Formats: sequence, C-alpha cells, structure tokens
Amino acid sequence: MIDTDTASRAGVNRESPERRFWYPYLLIAPTMVTLVIISLIPFLYTVYLSLHESKYGQVGGFIGLENFLVVLADPRFWNAMGVAIVFVLIAVPIEFMLGLAGALILNAGVRYRGTLVPLMFIPTMMAPIVVGLLWKIMFAGSWGLVSYNLFERFGILSGTSIFGSRNLALYGIILVDIWQWTPFMMLAFFAGLQSLPVNPYRAAAIDGANPVQVFFLITLPMLSPLLVVIVILRLIDAFKIFDSIFILTGGGPGDATESPSIFAYKMVFEYWQIGEASALAVLVWLLFFGFCNLFYQVAKKRLNAF
Amino acid sequence: MAARVTSKRDRTGRSRVLTTLAILYTVGILFPVFWMATLMIKPEAIMFVRPTVWVFEPTLDHFAFLLHEGFLWHLLSSLIVASASTLLVVIIGTPAAYAFSRFPIWRSDDLFIFILATRMAPPVVLLIPFYLIYAKVGLIDTYVGLVLAYLTFNLSFYVWVMRSFCRDLPVELEEAALVAGYPRWQVLLKIVFPLVRPGMVAAAVLCFIFAWNEFLYAFMLGGDKIKTLPVAIPTLITTQGVRWGEMSVVGIVGLLPVLAAVFFLQKHIVRGLTMGAVKG
Repeated sequence: MIDTDTASRAGVNRESPERRFWYPYLLIAPTMVTLVIISLIPFLYTVYLSLHESKYGQVGGFIGLENFLVVLADPRFWNAMGVAIVFVLIAVPIEFMLGLAGALILNAGVRYRGTLVPLMFIPTMMAPIVVGLLWKIMFAGSWGLVSYNLFERFGILSGTSIFGSRNLALYGIILVDIWQWTPFMMLAFFAGLQSLPVNPYRAAAIDGANPVQVFFLITLPMLSPLLVVIVILRLIDAFKIFDSIFILTGGGPGDATESPSIFAYKMVFEYWQIGEASALAVLVWLLFFGFCNLFYQVAKKRLNAF
Repeated sequence: MAARVTSKRDRTGRSRVLTTLAILYTVGILFPVFWMATLMIKPEAIMFVRPTVWVFEPTLDHFAFLLHEGFLWHLLSSLIVASASTLLVVIIGTPAAYAFSRFPIWRSDDLFIFILATRMAPPVVLLIPFYLIYAKVGLIDTYVGLVLAYLTFNLSFYVWVMRSFCRDLPVELEEAALVAGYPRWQVLLKIVFPLVRPGMVAAAVLCFIFAWNEFLYAFMLGGDKIKTLPVAIPTLITTQGVRWGEMSVVGIVGLLPVLAAVFFLQKHIVRGLTMGAVKG
C-alpha cells in the first residue's frame, strides 16, 4: 500500500517542477481521451436524447423532463425495478450464505485446492449467454436433465415448464444466478480468510475458545469489511442482469422476469421509444454512479483497497 | 495465516470429510456442463428419449451442420474482436494505470469513479447511444465499431485492476534508477513494465475472456458480417425448433478459452473480478 507521501516521493527527482507536473498527464492522456470518446460523449448524447421528443426513431424538439415523467409514471418501469429488487434480495443473500459456508469449509483444510478452486471458477467465468443456454437445456421440455429427472420422475411440478410459468420463471432465473455466482462469493471470501492474521487465532486457542466463538468473535469481525465490499459489488452486478434472462425467458412470460436492462432493451429495439429509453438510461446511469461511489468509498476506507 | 493454525489437524478424518464435500460440490456444479458436452455428440434421434440415454454411438452431425452454417467464421470473428480489443486496451491502458498508481492526479477520486462507472454500468445503457451514433456514421457491423464498443468495459477494467498491481511494486527501484540518471521513459520500459508483466498478462487474459463472452454489443452492433460465438447461440433457436446439439457445440467451444484461463489465472481471478479490492 503506497500512501500519498510515498506516491509523491516517486515524482521526486532532478527534473524541474513543470516537467514533473505534466508527465503523469501525458501517461493518462490516451486512456482519458478514449474514455471521453467511448463513455462521456455517449453519456452526454443520451442526456441530450432524453430531453428531446422522439417519434419512430426520429429525434424531434426539446421537451424538457417529459420523458423522465413518462418513464416514472410507467407501471412497466416499476415492475422492472420490482423484478430487479426481488431478484437481488433473494439471490444475493443465498449466494452470500452458501459462499461463506463454502469458504469456511475450504479454509478448514480441504486438500487438492489447487485443482478444485480453478474448477469451481468455471461457472463464474462462463459467458452468461452460455449459462442461460445450459439451463435452458437442463430444463428443456420433459427431457432435460432437471425437468425429467427431478420433475417428471418424482412428479414434482410435473407438466409445468419453470421458465414458462409466470410465478416460477423469476425463481428459475434466481437459481441460475446462484449456480453461477456462489463460487465467486466463496472464492473471494476464501481469499479473505487466507489473508487474516494468525495471532488472534493463537490467542483464542490458548484461551480455549470453541469454534463458534472463534467464528463470531474473531473471523467475522475481521472479515466483515471484505464481506461488505463483495456484497456491494455483487449487488451492482446482479442488478444489471441481462444475457441469461434474454435467452431463458426474454423477460417473459408477460413481464414476470423483465429486469431494468431487458426493459430498456425492449424500449429501444422493439418499440423505438428512444427519448423514453434514454431517460431510463440516464436514471440507471445515475443510480450506478451512486453504486460505484459507494463501492469505491467502502472498499477504500474499510478494506484499505485502491 | 488462519490456515496454518488448523494445518496440524489436516491429516485427520475431518480434512478427508471436507475434501470429499468440496469434490462433491465441484462435481455437482460442473455436471450440467458435462451433460451439455454429451449433447454435442448425441444423435438427434435419442436426444429426447426418457430416461436419459448415457451410452450411445457418437455422431458428428451437429458439427457438420455448424460448419455448413459458417461456424468457423463466427469463431474467427470472436477471436479477432477479443484479441484486437485486448491488445488495444493493454497499449492504451498500461501507462495510465502506472500514472494513477504513482502520481497525485487532479481530482483523481472523481476520475476513478467515472472509470469505475464506465465499467459497471449496464451495457444496454451505453448501447443506446452507441447504436444510434454507429447507425449514423456507418460503424454497424464493422470490426472497428465492435472493438471500440468493447473498450468501454475492458479499458476501464484494465486500468483499474492494473493500477492495483502497479501499487504492489516497490517505489524504491524506480527512485534508484531515477537517481542513477535514467530518463523516465527508460525507467518505465526497463523497470516498471517487466516487473508488472505477470499482472499485465492476468488482466489481459481477463479482458480477452470478457470480450469473448460478451453478447449484447455483438448482437446489436454486429450483423451478417461480424457474428461472434455468443451471437450464434440464439440464432439456433429457429422456427423449426431449437437446435440443441448445435447449441451445445457452440457453448462448449465458447467454454474452451475459459477453461484454459481459470487454470492459468488461479488466484488472479478473485482480484480481477473484485476490481482489485481483494488481493487473491
């Protein structure tokens, strides 16, 4: 960890102060120019579009905040937010609990970790579209591995298609997300456990603390900054889910699995409501600026990261 | 390390039980992938037979169909886009990551959050302006267009993670070289870059995987000319039915670089996926 003092020490040399001043800016210039072109300009363009009328894909006159009001009054917008909130509030806590339990198990002396850990990462690193495809096959018709062996053979939910049911589709998506992201939580927590200092554990062993006490009084307090950071990161990531829903249900049946990303996609590429979609995009973007700020501040202060 | 305290008891039965649990979990979560792999070579006729047929004469029909449909072309598109965007990101981003790790920069916190938000924002939010601008300037269905779009998530990711790797380097080496009279560009080329190379490779591999896995941009900004592997998947859901076998082939082929990456990257994955917040 290099604090500001050390950081400025690197700049100390026999060069004149002016040279020292522009040197870092020269190094960041290509990145900043690129980011202005690919991120700032598109963002400003979206803001521009959100303030203008649009009909059939053509941009019309300035209408102030009307697009925003239209979006905020749209029940589909609130449905999408509701879908995202239900999804995130069920999937992330389950991933968290399973992940923490798995990390503790891994840390308690599992052998062959060098092979097992990379294998566990496969779901997380897979393309979300392939993950969606995989589960589409698992639940396919009455012959998919899950739909046949669990549902048909034992008569549970037989005859229902999970992703075709208004009530169950979202839970199906949640299940897929848990499959994909529990390993990430687990291995991130495991990395945290591995980096905890050993002395508190020695002291606890001398004092004769039992494993439950060790977990709640030593491990959990020391690990909590990391847990918080990972959960924030995962919340951000889960909120924007798109690919797997796109291939599994396309947002349906009806709007049962229509996440904000799917809703925005449909607004643009199915209904060509460019003004309203841009307003939605601006709202989501501001939300994510807030999320990122939170992640950054928490990670920086509590985890001493960055 | 917490692990060291328990290590004395490692050779007991408890360790064996936990290891078995971990193996069962790993096999369990990977079983669907294995099943998908069997569909690659499963004849259409027995694909839907219940109970599931596990032993069968393998067929290459699905591969043949894909080859006929220009599958190799998709594969090539994917490789070109992912490699080009990764290479570009490394060239543009490395100096910036170094500068951010070493120098006090004006309003750096705000810049970081802007960079982070570029990475974390939902792709569809950026897709709207990209699509409209590309349609105007004729960048739809071009390699330049897609590679540029991939920079949105990869450049910000790379700069962010590389900055964390650069901070791990001791500043003293660079200071010594500067005191010895080496010009700054030589310090960068001869000391900094060789030292951060492992981190650079890890971050670049992750960028490659992100680009390789990307779906939405490729789907909307690509077209007949540029169709990456992920985009090929939904096209196999046809009006005549879903081509499950072919989809499985595309899925498994798409998985191959990922398989290579998880073993190659090992602990860097955690660091990469947490944007450098957790040092794996």
